[in-house]
Amino acid sequence: MAYQLNVNGRTVEVGATPDTPLLWVLRDHLGLTGAKYGCGSGYCGACTVHVDGSLTRSCMLPISALAGKEIGTIEALEEQHPELVDAWVQGNVAQCGYCQAGQLMSAAALLDDEPQPTDADIDTAMFGNLCRCGTYVRIRAAIHEAARRRAEKAAQSAQSR
Amino acid sequence: MNPIANLSPSLSSEPSRRHFLGISGVFVLGTCLPACTPQQPQLRPRPQPQLKLKPPATFEPNLFLALEPDGTARVVAHRSEMGQGIRTALAQIVADELDADWSRVKVEQGQGDAKYGDQNTDGSRSILLNYDRLRIAGATARLMLRQAAANVWKVPVEEVSTENHEAIHAATGRSLGYGELAGEAAALSVPENVPQKSIAEHRYIGKDAVHVDAGDIARGKGTYGADYRLPNMATAVVVRCPWLGGGVKSIVNKPTAKPGLVGIEILDPSAPAGPVFNPVGGAAVVAEDTWTAIRIARDLDIEWTDSENRGFSSEALRRSLREAARQPGTPVPNAEKGDVDAAFAAGGRKLSATYETPFLAHAPMEPPVAVADVSGDRCMVHAPLQDPQSARNLIAQWLQFPLENVSVTPTLLGGAFGRKSKPDFALEAVELSKRLQRPVRVQWLREDDIGHDYFHAASAQYHRAVINRRGHPTAWLQRTAFPSITTVFAPQTSMPAGWELEMGFSNLPYRVENQRMESTGIRPGVRIGWLRSVCNIFHAFSANVFADEMAAAAGRDPIEHRLDILAEGGKLTVPGMQPPADHELDIGRLRHVIEQVRTLSEWDRPRREGTGLGFAVHHSFRSYVATVLEVSMANGRPKVSNAYVVLDCGTYINPDTCRAQMEGAVVFGLSLALHGNITMREGTVMQSNFHDYPLLRIAEAPATKVHLVPAQGRLPAGVGEPGVPPVAPALVNALFAATGKRHRTLPIKA
Repeated sequence: MAYQLNVNGRTVEVGATPDTPLLWVLRDHLGLTGAKYGCGSGYCGACTVHVDGSLTRSCMLPISALAGKEIGTIEALEEQHPELVDAWVQGNVAQCGYCQAGQLMSAAALLDDEPQPTDADIDTAMFGNLCRCGTYVRIRAAIHEAARRRAEKAAQSAQSR
Repeated sequence: MNPIANLSPSLSSEPSRRHFLGISGVFVLGTCLPACTPQQPQLRPRPQPQLKLKPPATFEPNLFLALEPDGTARVVAHRSEMGQGIRTALAQIVADELDADWSRVKVEQGQGDAKYGDQNTDGSRSILLNYDRLRIAGATARLMLRQAAANVWKVPVEEVSTENHEAIHAATGRSLGYGELAGEAAALSVPENVPQKSIAEHRYIGKDAVHVDAGDIARGKGTYGADYRLPNMATAVVVRCPWLGGGVKSIVNKPTAKPGLVGIEILDPSAPAGPVFNPVGGAAVVAEDTWTAIRIARDLDIEWTDSENRGFSSEALRRSLREAARQPGTPVPNAEKGDVDAAFAAGGRKLSATYETPFLAHAPMEPPVAVADVSGDRCMVHAPLQDPQSARNLIAQWLQFPLENVSVTPTLLGGAFGRKSKPDFALEAVELSKRLQRPVRVQWLREDDIGHDYFHAASAQYHRAVINRRGHPTAWLQRTAFPSITTVFAPQTSMPAGWELEMGFSNLPYRVENQRMESTGIRPGVRIGWLRSVCNIFHAFSANVFADEMAAAAGRDPIEHRLDILAEGGKLTVPGMQPPADHELDIGRLRHVIEQVRTLSEWDRPRREGTGLGFAVHHSFRSYVATVLEVSMANGRPKVSNAYVVLDCGTYINPDTCRAQMEGAVVFGLSLALHGNITMREGTVMQSNFHDYPLLRIAEAPATKVHLVPAQGRLPAGVGEPGVPPVAPALVNALFAATGKRHRTLPIKA
């Protein structure tokens, strides 16, 4: 079956069986390998992407359910969340890094919902993303740092207006 | 003696044979001469145009460094990156001695090749093995660049200094960029015995650095094994026999042609023990894309052949371990001190306890995966491998190819923890690519990873002591029982190896007059492997909890008590055992991390009712780690609010990495203390994914403070593993302080 998808603001055509999960569409058909396979069952969050702005486990969602939806992946996250990506790099958050795309996608969704999250907000929002290396304390710190920078930027642009 | 002056004559000899032979590859970048390369800073006077510089060339003074005419310093990382920051740390060492501009350092991954020496990224020893040689590599290049500049300027090399990628002649204010000098330096012969910087001169060693791959990773661009792609590549998902040693008898519902299906290949099982890293066998579903392979593999109904492991039960094995720990075992040779039996017979306060730990799976976030391309008599493999060199040897043997026809390139490793030391998954890809004569990627599913791991051994320890009023042990008998890693190497072995016992068992650091250590082994029905910190996990657990029990029995503060039962200082000597060179356990350093963690955790500050502090300390991989955890009960489960860790790892390269490894070790240790439990019934692993083999999640992760003991100048020691062993015992000890309940079996049941 041929499907038209909107991925990172671009329309692409993919031929795949209707049950093919978005994860494998991204990775095998579109060459977007940022989202990772970790468990195939929605437990680990390594495959997390945005679908119409909502957090989605791409390993569970078949291509047949994606018509007309906007899919956002880690490859385009920096455009919307430069502070977050930079805070992640400067905070040296990643160890092996395999889960980090999923972590960042969840963190971005959290900041969109709650610009000044508490540790408890972070723990709730990031609960679905496993990290075997144990980067959790740096994830908390980087989200706080990104929130601070975004607030600073918002204040500056408000002033300059 | 001035080594620089002595080396000068040979350095300035030209034209050199090396240059004419073209040993360094020559790269000509357009028509731009070195003097007009764009990256040159404009602040210093420029070299005169009439200066005769040799044509641009790559300066490659050794295996680990190549300097391009554009100034790019390419550093080869010959160890595998699995999150421990090794690609960054190795480059920091070279860049420091080179006086390089960090922004112009580019790290390249070395293939598996004996020319690099040891590449087994395992045992927390990459820095130990490479600190000196990489400093020499950088320092040698820097001296040659100075000499090259001296030759150009016709001044003595002693007058030439370096700073941030430039050679400088201070007296005349002249400077030349390293890139400009590359051609000149490439023509010089390589000097020996080049001195290295003093610690005070270090600019990158011992300083925080963001990991070189951090930017790629945060943008989804890092290339892991799972991400490597080749044209015309097929993907295989292998259905493996639930019990070790079984093979495909028949496929009950073998599918006929299906869209996207390339074929189903039967892989024979390896012998129950050895060759160690051969694949376990199964039915490989090869397809044009991953999902097709997964879907068909999940629907296969396979009849398996029997094997002797089909009756294996982890419960029965653990019962045997428990019983073995209560019986006399094989004494560690020549290690008995005093007369333990007489001390027990003489009376006094006696204390005994049995501790148990389960099988564990590595569960790296990236399940095993490998890409192989066997074409004619050549084979190329890209995979997340901890030891690309031994993998290359095994692959060449497997294919009966000459070694030089096989290349193995490590990708980034999406976690490893010891699992990716075993290249069975790469051999699967190699075999399938050989058969299909096209590139094949083997993708393990999480269920495959949990079900067919080289498991961390289940264990039991028995401790018995006579203690005095102060809780000091006057006699200490300890026994350990576990299936040895050596059982996968040899079909008859069952006894733990000496090196397994040296992981926190036969090198217990306490002052005891009467002491005996005994061990017992057992053959399991599954593959045993090393997991981050290996036998230290259970040995540090039992010894630290038992010491805490001694303190509690005597009503002592656990840290005060622990310092009391350690000697004042000196090196630990274990009768009959010779520690490897510079691997002596330094009691003074052990005491220091204990004292430091007492301060860091504000150990004496009263906590809220219901909150307990627990302490543990352990020496492993040449490092010293003391950990304090702060714990309370919430909703019937332990809640760890704070972790305090002190690490003495000798010379460190990137302190931020050291802190990160301790933070991660706390999480890894809490995962195994609170959740980890692999069981087998009828040879079959009962867990399959993260719902029944849970890992710690963010809400369970404590705030973590790390103190790194300044120890530059000492032998570099391990960082990746030594943070793990103290975590589980610190948790158990904290729970005892909080609740009065003593847990002796992992994982902790509330």
